[in-house]
Amino acid sequence: MNSAHLLKVDILEIAQKCVYCGYCSVCPTFKELNWESNHPRGILEQVKMYFNEKYTKDVSKSLFDAIFSCTMCKACENICIVDLPLLQVWEQIRQEAFRRGRWSSDLLSIYDKVKATHNIFGLPHNDRLDWAELCGINLSRRIKRKAPVAFFIGCQASYSGKMAGIAESMVKILRKARVNFTVLGDEEWCCGAPIFLGGGYTVGTSLAKHNYEELKKLGVKKIVSTCAGCYRSFKIVYPKILGDDWDIEVVHASELIDELVDKKKIKLLNTIDEKITYKDPCELVRHCGLSEAPRSIIKKFPNVRYEELPSNREEALCCGGGGLLKINNPKLVSEVNTKLVSEIEYTEADIVVSCCPLCVDTIQQGVKEKKLGIKVLDLVELVKMSMEVKK
Amino acid sequence: MTLKTRARSKFSRAFGNNFQDTLIIRLLYSRDIVALPSITKLVVSNIPDGVVLIKEIDDIVKVFQIANDEKIPVIPRLGGTSGFGGCLPYKKGVVIDLKGLKQEFLIDPGDLSVTVSSPYVFSDLQRSLNMQGFSLCSYPSSLYSGTIGGWFAQDGSGIGALKYGGSLDQVKEIEVVLPTGEIKNFSDEDKLSLFAGSQGTLGIITKLKLSVKFNTPLSYKACTYDSAKDLVVGLKSLNNLDIFSIWVMNPKQVALLNSTSDYALPERYLVIVSKEVNYKEEESEFYANFNQTIRENKGQILDDRYIKDIWKHRFRTFSLLKNTKTFLFGEAIIPIDKSDQYIKKIETFFNNQIQIEGTMISPEKLSLLYFVKEKDEISDIKTAMLFMKFYKIMKKVVKYKGHPYTTGLWFSGYYKHIYGNEQLLSYKAYKKSIDPKKICNPGKVISPRLKIFPLMKLKTALKLASEVIG
Ligand SMILES: Cc1cc2nc3c(=O)[nH]c(=O)nc-3n(C[C@H](O)[C@H](O)[C@H](O)COP(=O)(O)OP(=O)(O)OC[C@H]3O[C@@H](n4cnc5c(N)ncnc54)[C@H](O)[C@@H]3O)c2cc1C
Ligand code: SF4
Ligand code: SF4
Repeated sequence: MNSAHLLKVDILEIAQKCVYCGYCSVCPTFKELNWESNHPRGILEQVKMYFNEKYTKDVSKSLFDAIFSCTMCKACENICIVDLPLLQVWEQIRQEAFRRGRWSSDLLSIYDKVKATHNIFGLPHNDRLDWAELCGINLSRRIKRKAPVAFFIGCQASYSGKMAGIAESMVKILRKARVNFTVLGDEEWCCGAPIFLGGGYTVGTSLAKHNYEELKKLGVKKIVSTCAGCYRSFKIVYPKILGDDWDIEVVHASELIDELVDKKKIKLLNTIDEKITYKDPCELVRHCGLSEAPRSIIKKFPNVRYEELPSNREEALCCGGGGLLKINNPKLVSEVNTKLVSEIEYTEADIVVSCCPLCVDTIQQGVKEKKLGIKVLDLVELVKMSMEVKK
Repeated sequence: MTLKTRARSKFSRAFGNNFQDTLIIRLLYSRDIVALPSITKLVVSNIPDGVVLIKEIDDIVKVFQIANDEKIPVIPRLGGTSGFGGCLPYKKGVVIDLKGLKQEFLIDPGDLSVTVSSPYVFSDLQRSLNMQGFSLCSYPSSLYSGTIGGWFAQDGSGIGALKYGGSLDQVKEIEVVLPTGEIKNFSDEDKLSLFAGSQGTLGIITKLKLSVKFNTPLSYKACTYDSAKDLVVGLKSLNNLDIFSIWVMNPKQVALLNSTSDYALPERYLVIVSKEVNYKEEESEFYANFNQTIRENKGQILDDRYIKDIWKHRFRTFSLLKNTKTFLFGEAIIPIDKSDQYIKKIETFFNNQIQIEGTMISPEKLSLLYFVKEKDEISDIKTAMLFMKFYKIMKKVVKYKGHPYTTGLWFSGYYKHIYGNEQLLSYKAYKKSIDPKKICNPGKVISPRLKIFPLMKLKTALKLASEVIG
């Protein structure tokens, strides 16, 4: 059954329950913009005005502007003193903006691309595995083959040349561990994350159904993802929109790798000489509560030198790249990112690892802007480095 | 747009997009933690004419220039977490939002002090200090939203104040932009005392130097008392144990905490004590002394299992307002000797349907926060009536030699009760010298005249109304 309606909440009712304590001022974009209209509590105030005919017309522009300055990092919901489901409210406001024709042309173009081509880049289905060719990997015996495990590559790693190393590393890890896995090839459709973030559950559901059916055709019991966004979609959103039908176990690459290392299916042999720090992706830690598996792997690198970021786990700073903000306001992304990069600098780490292609991309940009010599890698890339025998 | 064209264009020219006066922005800046019932509009013009987002100190100087020329009130605002109306306009004007002021953080380990800009939120400040092995000495329980500047401007107090004192005891020096536009630094006790609790009526605080301490771990214990009277005996007896903080709840508050969490605390007067301990032996000694003191002074020691992780709750009092659409609160400071009588008074006044939480802010004084909550939104009239009820009980605190937590707007006129007559006179003289046009946050600290009936002051009107309606 389609239970998308379960995701709907009464946003006015929620806004009325805000006690205005201001704790949600931890919001990373509010911290840059500073106007009360961008404060999560201020957004709720505007929701109340939106439902008051006297103000609806005046408030809609500022409400919709504010909601598209949000990275969906969930810091506000996490700290909310009265446990308001703020992310659902934000999604619904975005949806309302869509209904009112208030999405920006850039946003609409992403939406249209995903709808038409099933990926955020608007590229053909056939190009989905070009990265493999680029990395010299032959996947022909894996594509759409029946297997208990599916590696869901995700749009970023599939189409963005910069991120191809993530998919390559994961495939090498899975092969080394002799995991019987499959990939969906040109039948892999966007998981729906960018659409869900816009509150677009109708289109999102059609993407989810397609992926689900393809996975079922191949007898997949477990799906593994290297992307925090895809992982969140499968873990949190699919069960809600597909209901009980969704019976596939969802694991993040870090969880699977940690298990593989423990079972000695792969060995982390090479020391990583550089000092490492780890950035928790918002979608992993705050949305899905996953924080320990990546740390557990890092600690298994021989003689590792590791330091936590000052803001870590639930309190991790947002990189600014989420919630479609890169499309809506790239300047704001860079401002938000600056705080994170300063924390990374503070640790004096040589390598910052994350588990999300969007974080990796955004931090890389921030590190480059500041001309720092810090390497930014996805955890699977680091695992591959430690696993491979040094030439 | 409500500013006169000339004034408006001056602000627009000076601040560009950092000046806004759309209806929505003006409404967003017309409240603090308390949403005002519309009936209050009869006495308070709390919707500003515009808002300036301050980015640098020079912006404040420019605001004062325009405001002096055009005689426009300037209302400073930081976290907006106060419930006393201090950051709300009384007769319109321009709100200056200082949250965007450039953040500075300069620690001086030798002097055990840190110099920070006023918009620093406590949790960020504490984190920055902890990263270097230091800690704030005392801080409010609005850790995640209150700012150091707003706290000092309200003469705030809080956790750790029992050992280290409140904001005035922490702050060693301030940088201020006076309404004249001069930028001044003050470190003498007299001026610091005037600025603490001045609610932004004497100028805008931009930087503060405050004492810090080494980050020492805390250890916790708890006990209960059967009555408010026993509670007072107990609180006094704890004074000898060099305690960091004492936190108190009335039985109704304990019951609410139990019902909204996994705790099963005995529904009596609950006291949670924390103490800095450097090593194991010090902790054992504290436990022994605590147990003995409680036993000898009518208390019941609470097993540690009851209070597991309760310290985390110290910033989460408002979580008890979950699923609440209306709430009102009061906060008063009361000498410990009289506190049992005042607690009883409040409880009786609200038919025992009132939540009370307290913090010892010095060995002699207890700060009491009390609130009522309603599941649904209530009508404006009902809210106003409840508001008056709170006013009535708050005003009674004076009889017990206590005073409202701060003046702000609602308790303007109580400055004398808080600081004494001599300081009131100094305050008035200084205010006159630096703000002759009375543009700096009017309506606060000293009770203003009513716009609809200028013969009467706001304090008198509220007193009368609270007697009739409350
Ligand atoms: C959950 C919660 C718990 C709280 N616990 C405590 C507590 O334990 N102890 C305590 O003392 N308070 C407490 N408070 C009250 C309040 O949060 C604090 O006093 C807080 O520090 C005020 O800071 P603010 O930044 O929100 O100030 P605001 O509310 O923005 O302003 C407070 C006053 O200061 C003035 N002001 C603001 N900025 C400046 C400036 N730069 N220069 C001059 N004047 C200025 C304003 O005009 C206003 O009069 C609590 C509030 C909440 C919501
Ligand atoms: S999700 Fe993140 S960016 Fe969005 S309002 Fe909440 S804290 Fe701010
Ligand atoms: S933390 Fe929650 S209750 Fe507090 S102001 Fe933000 S949204 Fe409202």
